[in-house]
Amino acid sequence: MISLLLAYITITLFAMILLGIYGVATRSNLIKKIIMLNVMGDAINMLFILIGYRLVFPVFPPIYESHITFEEFLSRAVDPVPQALVLTAVVIGMAMNILLTTYAIQFYRLHGTVDARDMAEVVGGEDL
Amino acid sequence: MKRDVIVALSFLIAFLFIAYAVTARNVLGIGGAELRPLGEFYLSHSFAHEGLTSHSPEVVTAIVWNYRGFDTLFETFVFFLAIMGALSVLRLDGEQLKQARELEAAMPHRMMDLIVRATTKLVVIMIVAISASIALHGHLTPGGGFQGGSAMAVAALLLFAAFSKFTLERKGLTLKHTISAYALGLAIILATVLAPVFLYGGKILEINLLPGETGLFNLDVGEYTAVTFGFLTVFLVLGIPEWVFKAVLRRELND
Repeated sequence: MISLLLAYITITLFAMILLGIYGVATRSNLIKKIIMLNVMGDAINMLFILIGYRLVFPVFPPIYESHITFEEFLSRAVDPVPQALVLTAVVIGMAMNILLTTYAIQFYRLHGTVDARDMAEVVGGEDL
Repeated sequence: MKRDVIVALSFLIAFLFIAYAVTARNVLGIGGAELRPLGEFYLSHSFAHEGLTSHSPEVVTAIVWNYRGFDTLFETFVFFLAIMGALSVLRLDGEQLKQARELEAAMPHRMMDLIVRATTKLVVIMIVAISASIALHGHLTPGGGFQGGSAMAVAALLLFAAFSKFTLERKGLTLKHTISAYALGLAIILATVLAPVFLYGGKILEINLLPGETGLFNLDVGEYTAVTFGFLTVFLVLGIPEWVFKAVLRRELND
């Protein structure tokens, strides 16, 4: 039952990743591109966390407390490695968001559009 | 039209293939009861191993500082670079800033409803308390400097929405102050990272300045300050109203 639920969640997350790729590729509005990039990134992070989950009951967070024995801790705690990896990805995603939003806003202020199709025309470059 | 069909079909095929691989074959190994060997190594070694100095009972934090310390440090650098990029793109110079102030002062001052303002004040106090607890307890429980700072950034966003950028600046939260506080946070991080080298000739990132399990406390404080005020700096720069910015740009074009 639980493993079926996990499979459903995994498939949903993969669908979200594909949706994010599709949105980044096909939407021409820069803000929508950023939103879809975030959807994709969050789905990937979620998938990482899910890989580290263990099907035991009760499951502990990876924090060692002195009132449980070390063997019990090892047999109950979830995998800490994916969480440590996602920590980095979240920070980098935040920095990426700041930079992308800044550029989109500045582009709008200078040229009055955030549409990727209009960019070549608005900036005055040659037709791509 | 034909291209859309091909794209949709290829996405559908990819999705079906992934769904088959994940459910029928379980290629990701999701839902197992036993631990992976790498996870077991980190769980059993990260806070009991010789020569590792974060002394944190929380294994994620222990991994991040004991095994991935440089990674975490460079993460701070990446965040710094993003903020500097935003600042350098959206910056107004002194003359333009003066013009923006004049334009804002000339406009009639509009405020949100009293209910919104009072509720925001209460909620902001709660968010500050919670984010401080996330950040300053981050070496013992889930959380840490960056997470607490992100929660603080939400409080700043609420203040920007309910009041305005200029109200905050009148209360003393100017760009100069936030950048100074951001630099202070970065300085705390740098001092904590470099302190072992100068104090007792250890290696950098060897964090055992404080006794017991509190070795990461000052790093958490530094990261919390840096992230909070880094976000505030970006919000202050992004928060200039659109019409003010356009008027300033137009004046620059006319000159």
